[in-house]
Amino acid sequence: MNADLRSTGEHETLLQADDLSKVFGGRGLLFRRSRPEVRAVDKVSFSVRRGETLGIVGETGSGKSTLGRLLIRLLDPSAGRIVFDGRDITGLAQGRMRKLRHEMQMVFQDPYGSLDPRMKVGAIVAEPMLVHGAERSGIARRTAEILEWVGLSPAMAERYPHEFSGGQRQRIGIARAMALDPKLLILDEPVSALDVSIQAQILNLLRDLQRQSGVTYIFIAHDLAVVRHISERVAVMYLGKIVETAPRERLYAAPRHPYSASLLSAVPLPNLRAERQRKRIALYGEIGSATALPGGCRFHPRCFKARLVAAAGGVATTALSKDVVVPSRCTDSEPPLADDGNGHFAACHFPLDPNGAEARDSAPFAAGQSRRHS
Amino acid sequence: MASGEMARDSAIPRQPAGPDDPEAARRRRQAALRRYTRHPGFMVGATIILLLALLAILAPWIAPNSPLKTEMSLVLAEPSWAYPLGTDQFGRCVLSRLIYGAQISLQVGFWVVLISLTCGTLIGALAGFLGGWIERAIVALIDIMLAFPGFLLALALVAAQGSSLTSVITAVSIAYTPRVATVMRSVVLTIRPRPFIEASHAIGLTKLRILLRHVIPNAMPPVIVVATVSAATAILAEAGLSFLGLGVQPPTATWGSVIANGQAVITTRPLISLSAGLSIAVAVIGLNLLGDGLRDTLDPQMRRQTGAKML
Amino acid sequence: MQRSSPPSSDPSAAKAGPRGPVLELRDLVTRFPGDDGPLSIVDGVSLSVASGETLAVVGESGSGKTMTFLSAIGLIPPPGRVTSGQVLLEGTDLLTHTPEQLRAVRGERISMVFQDPLTGLNPVFTIGEQIVEVLRAHRKLSRAEARKKAIELLERVQIPDPGRRVDDYPHQLSGGMRQRVLIAMAISLDPSVLIADEPTTALDVTVQAQVLELLAELREESGMAMVLITHDLGLVARHADRVAVMYAGRVVEQGSAKAVFEQTAHPYTLSLFRGVPSLDTDTAQDLIEIEGQPPDPAFLPPGCAFEPRCFLGQGRASCQATRPGLQPTLGTEHQTACLHSAELTATRARA
Repeated sequence: MNADLRSTGEHETLLQADDLSKVFGGRGLLFRRSRPEVRAVDKVSFSVRRGETLGIVGETGSGKSTLGRLLIRLLDPSAGRIVFDGRDITGLAQGRMRKLRHEMQMVFQDPYGSLDPRMKVGAIVAEPMLVHGAERSGIARRTAEILEWVGLSPAMAERYPHEFSGGQRQRIGIARAMALDPKLLILDEPVSALDVSIQAQILNLLRDLQRQSGVTYIFIAHDLAVVRHISERVAVMYLGKIVETAPRERLYAAPRHPYSASLLSAVPLPNLRAERQRKRIALYGEIGSATALPGGCRFHPRCFKARLVAAAGGVATTALSKDVVVPSRCTDSEPPLADDGNGHFAACHFPLDPNGAEARDSAPFAAGQSRRHS
Repeated sequence: MASGEMARDSAIPRQPAGPDDPEAARRRRQAALRRYTRHPGFMVGATIILLLALLAILAPWIAPNSPLKTEMSLVLAEPSWAYPLGTDQFGRCVLSRLIYGAQISLQVGFWVVLISLTCGTLIGALAGFLGGWIERAIVALIDIMLAFPGFLLALALVAAQGSSLTSVITAVSIAYTPRVATVMRSVVLTIRPRPFIEASHAIGLTKLRILLRHVIPNAMPPVIVVATVSAATAILAEAGLSFLGLGVQPPTATWGSVIANGQAVITTRPLISLSAGLSIAVAVIGLNLLGDGLRDTLDPQMRRQTGAKML
Repeated sequence: MQRSSPPSSDPSAAKAGPRGPVLELRDLVTRFPGDDGPLSIVDGVSLSVASGETLAVVGESGSGKTMTFLSAIGLIPPPGRVTSGQVLLEGTDLLTHTPEQLRAVRGERISMVFQDPLTGLNPVFTIGEQIVEVLRAHRKLSRAEARKKAIELLERVQIPDPGRRVDDYPHQLSGGMRQRVLIAMAISLDPSVLIADEPTTALDVTVQAQVLELLAELREESGMAMVLITHDLGLVARHADRVAVMYAGRVVEQGSAKAVFEQTAHPYTLSLFRGVPSLDTDTAQDLIEIEGQPPDPAFLPPGCAFEPRCFLGQGRASCQATRPGLQPTLGTEHQTACLHSAELTATRARA
């Protein structure tokens, strides 16, 4: 099923994940603590091309942050394979992995916590160069260059992180990550802790850096609007799985997975007229737990499309409760991530139509939507 | 104001404003200094310890008499100009013995802190940072050592080793290292999950470098506080050992031995034991005040963050 | 002060009246001590909200939006202090109340829902016990009656299977459910005003939509006034009747949602609209960003606080000289604190 993802050209592919999984808990070592098994990431496959930005969106518990950490081996995968720049790094020993770190870096969500409070900014930015064997004489100059590059004055190198605002600290975090000129940068919610007036600065900075250096981004976030702004392709995660991935325009204009459609409809627009005419698609219940995954398609208990298909008849159905009936296929078999022929993949037995009309017209209104504005 | 100018002067189009005012930086440094100078406990504690240290160092010039010279004609003399606190039953100047005694007490305090801080920090940091069976083994060992009262442990060690300044320091250090290690480990456990540690892994640092450069420096403030306070208990322990005759051997002047000698004549010459006891109390109170002051002032980030949250 | 005996109060009396303001803040000033003299964290804020109405208060962290309302209900954390102004709740000034009277007012007539649904609940008590505690602190109810009322409240906030959920502990609930419980506690005494401080910032977008729709429904049913403190302009568009935008402790623009969204009269508001990515921004263009950092209350410029970051006023002598107050724009209902708001018409057209 991943053949098409790979066919984008081996030489163009920078990072590829095959059936990557991470299971937490389960076995306890000494005291036999049997914590429930959490399948945080479950057989995820995708690839990223050189120089592109892949956005990964999902809600709490979708496994998106775990996935990001697996990709650069901050966590060790339970199963699957990671190929970076043509070489399999899945089983690479820690020591050799460390040497590779200068090619793959990460920017973290928390601009307050991710910088050592007892180090000066200059030392923070210089540290990766120092440990990766840069010439000492060049480091100071390079530090100043990078600080300038991310929009900070080189004089700020002598200060401590707590003297800076959130946006500036995130610039420091970006400077540290870019110091070694990496090929891949994993951005884990890099703007979600920042004030709204600062988010635009950081997003523009990231786009700028990419234009200048050609670095590849994997941009992980829960904010669909932010991901849309920065990504060329977007993957939507739900309970450890990628349920849909497509070029940005197609995913946002015509989502094919019912979950993506519901998610998009829940994002309010800062536009009075448009927002009050929009409707939010019903999403039943809350995100399940990765300890007790539903069988078949893991979205079926919350899916509006499954209910519509079952109600229309013509398919074998299964009753989840006395008034919820879904197609049996949804409860029995896990849908593969399938291509529609245009690079738009959705893991759904009954995907929404490709022109977006279905999500717009026939999807049910969420209950309790404000009635006053029409 | 400064930010606006910078935005126009700089070659980079996007120059964020910020704490860039040299005036503001100066004020911040002053505020940091003020935190110490305006803490009455810290100032009193620091003054006491500083004075005691001066006294100990300058003892040969300050002390009115030799602490060892016995003047059989002046046994148990009343306080006089030549002997401000009188003499003991061997005719030695009590004040001079106290002043020289400060040398021993402060040395013990200093070395015990240095040794237990170094060893305890390393042991605790290794346990907390590495985790796994290493941590479990170290914790078990620490628990066993903590099960003995520290003073008894020191007593047993000195009794086994024979008494000298070195053996007192070794014994008390061994007794107090587990305390520091316990604190260190629990602090490291709170630092290990912090994002900047994960960030250090992400930039490819070795575990050793992360431990030395990032974990330990951030764990120091509470550990320094514990160490300061344990200097006080170390001084008490040394005095206790001397009092029991297991400390530094006579005729060396120590506060504990002055109390012990004075004990025999406590009904007639209470001043001897009392003045030594008071010296110990002053040193202990000074160190405790200093420790409390450090606890309140050492962590500017924490203060700042809670302050920021408040707004 | 007239209504200091809570059990006899009849909240519907106030709500039935004409849509005058239920809660009105007049020139509220709250100060915190700083290194160089007191800092005005809330600096002369005047706001009002009528029954059945949602007022959205928009601002970034440090803009004073939360502090304004904490000041209003007497929960300002020390060493902060309200130094002047009035807080009129149905005509009485809360600032003249004793702490005891204020406690009776809170929860009873005015209540607040906070951002973090976990810290608002005590982990060692069931949610039922916590709702019962609120009810019995203000009303003479037996334990059984209070428990029955708690189950009703959980049903009102659409918690499924409330009869069973009432005995759950907070950790057994999801974030969205916890926020519903806090909302249940907040509305348990039929307050006239509900202040929701970033009620959904900690929640996922789909849950956020559900919780805000619940709040909107509750407000419609009960006719209470609602204050929605948020930084999310999308939520404002969906839920607000009126909007107040705060910056550096002051209200810089206020008016009907329609006026603020469609005839934006303050450059800060306009910058927010242009600079925050939404599902319909042009991805080919860079975002139009606001320069610089949010203001530090200790280093505010003498003139307009937004001047150093403003695309209209940066470097302008008039903006650096005076700190503008709120002035009516086209309609009297719509006010802005900008000297050059007339020039915004052109920018708006381009945006």
